[in-house]
Amino acid sequence: MTARRPWYATVLMYAALAFFLAFLGFPLVWLVSASFKSSQELNSLAVNLIPAQWDFSNYASALERQNLIPAAMNSLLVAVATMIITVLLSMPMAYALARLQGRLRAAGTIWILTSQVFPSILIIIPLFLLLRSISLNDTLLGLILVYVTFTMPFTLWMLQGYVAAIPVELEEAAEMDGANRITILRRVVLPLLAPGLVATAMFTFVSAWNEFFLALVLLQSPELYTLPIALRSFLGAEGQTQLGPLAAGAVLATIPSLIIFGILQKKLTGGMLAGAVKG
Amino acid sequence: MKRIRGIGAIALAGVAALALTSCTQGSATRGSGDGEDGAVTLQFQSLSDQPTTQAAIKKIVDGWNSENPDVQVEIIQAGWDGTYDKLITQFTGGTAPDIIHFEASSIVSFAADGYLADLSEYIDPDLKSDISEGIWDSVTVGDEIIAYPSTLQSYMAFANADLLEQAGVEIPTGDTMTWDELAEIARATTTPEHKGLGWGLASPTATMMSLALGFDGGYFSGEGDDAKIEVGDDELAVPERIHEMAYGDKSLDLTSLTQSGSDVLASFYGGKVAMTVQGSFQVTNIAKDAPEGFNWVALPPIEGSAGALQAANPQTYSVNVDSEHVEESAEFLNYFMGADNLAEIAYADALIPSSGEARSALEKKAADNPAWTQVLASGEGLEGPPFLKADKYTEWKDTIATPAFQQYLADKISKEQLATQLSDGWADIAG
Repeated sequence: MTARRPWYATVLMYAALAFFLAFLGFPLVWLVSASFKSSQELNSLAVNLIPAQWDFSNYASALERQNLIPAAMNSLLVAVATMIITVLLSMPMAYALARLQGRLRAAGTIWILTSQVFPSILIIIPLFLLLRSISLNDTLLGLILVYVTFTMPFTLWMLQGYVAAIPVELEEAAEMDGANRITILRRVVLPLLAPGLVATAMFTFVSAWNEFFLALVLLQSPELYTLPIALRSFLGAEGQTQLGPLAAGAVLATIPSLIIFGILQKKLTGGMLAGAVKG
Repeated sequence: MKRIRGIGAIALAGVAALALTSCTQGSATRGSGDGEDGAVTLQFQSLSDQPTTQAAIKKIVDGWNSENPDVQVEIIQAGWDGTYDKLITQFTGGTAPDIIHFEASSIVSFAADGYLADLSEYIDPDLKSDISEGIWDSVTVGDEIIAYPSTLQSYMAFANADLLEQAGVEIPTGDTMTWDELAEIARATTTPEHKGLGWGLASPTATMMSLALGFDGGYFSGEGDDAKIEVGDDELAVPERIHEMAYGDKSLDLTSLTQSGSDVLASFYGGKVAMTVQGSFQVTNIAKDAPEGFNWVALPPIEGSAGALQAANPQTYSVNVDSEHVEESAEFLNYFMGADNLAEIAYADALIPSSGEARSALEKKAADNPAWTQVLASGEGLEGPPFLKADKYTEWKDTIATPAFQQYLADKISKEQLATQLSDGWADIAG
């Protein structure tokens, strides 16, 4: 029998939640508001959340001028491919890393941590030369491979934590019932790992979707530009910013991310392991 | 044991999959070169970000392409942001385009590394003589001209005419306006409601280095690795005057010192500052964004003890030294730099064209806009600054000068400390 929560605790909880939502949501609301303001209003001192006059021209110029739609398609392709490849490769590796004992595991862990300490600016030139030698510079495939390489260590680290949280007794029980390693992975580990895989997939998608520097340097053909590159073209020399079209472009850029999150967040359910192992 | 083997197999499968994925081939980068019909295609990486400028450039390129079927130019549209890093990898990886758009202060380091062609023998003699020596100086490394200087910006003061009138201040109409006049007007127009001057100096170094020339403050002497720095009274005249307006006269809006130039425009339009110093290119933005009925004027060029001099840091067009078509690229650039073409680009970008003929064409084009008269006047005093000759200038600017100027403008360090930081910082970087 559990004690009922006092009413004020509920009120406080919802108030905190509302504050948190407002805190997180305000930049997005402001972005949407700015995207409908004329340049005159954007350059005034007035702070209005609701535009004085709704101006749709920012969206028109964003879509017309900077090839946002093809860039968004490129970003979507790169981000989704990176997400799928990274998750597929990370899953068996993370399992091995979590369950292996001994020197190999230690070496793997050190490799993961070491690979995280190099700033991309440090390795961009060798990377560029390497990709060029295999004719993959200025291709989306090359960029995907680079993103996979860059996100893999962190996703491995994330996933192996999720694998480690799965009680090994469940696997042992399945083994006792005659299941082989692959069956154990597919029937026991994978279902329990689903929330972790979703979280990892989300992280990978967002990393690839937002990445700017590597895409800037590795892509040279305008038709291959990703969304962050296209959006940066609203920033000119001497710090000039075309704020309205930039805001409109940024709003459009957030839509695919929101959709992906909307689809995946339902899968992010915890507590699947509660009661799996009786003490 | 069996379990370990299983896990090892799974890990191996993962690694194998990764290796296989890496082997997949993609399309090779397209390059410039000769087409099947014998026509040459030149890659032209343009950074122009304004739609009107992009349209002007496209029109020029289309004109060239229709007149020169054997030498076709292909525009590769890129952006200013991150261009330096992009060019480093392009040059190192051997994939740089034939024609490169950038700016003098950033491109000279690539010339020092031997990536840019010497254009001296290709430049049209009429164009050569129509651009001042001072501007050519800004794109000369050693005895090589490594770029065509196209358009420039100057710093100029804009004023809210109504606020000046309310304060009983007469709007300066001479050929130039002294720093003392600027400070006087700022004092006279400062009230409890608004400040006399707003100056976006979040990134102050470029402004300081440019306006210092008006006091004969060159900062650097010598070239390349041998460049020496000297921070004396002439060099410190501009920061000192700005500091005095901010903390002595209290006529300069302190908040604006932490903002970008564009950010300060909102205060200018809103009547919170009577004047603002901006890049000349803001003429177009002010005309476009100022509220209905906002009465603004462009003031004459600001003059120091040595004249109304400022640093010429032009936008540039260079040719990749590894291009197979250096001569054709230079021919195209001679065409591109024609007076009418350059005037068109300068007008679209609200910048000052480098050649006299283009300035004349622009004067006619912008005859009905009085602000343009002052913009063009401010271009008269542009000359090649010594800092363009110093190899490590960009590194010094970003890591030493900008934080030092910011601290001084925030009243955190004294003038003497500023001078020490700038000098010692250079010594550390230049060795």
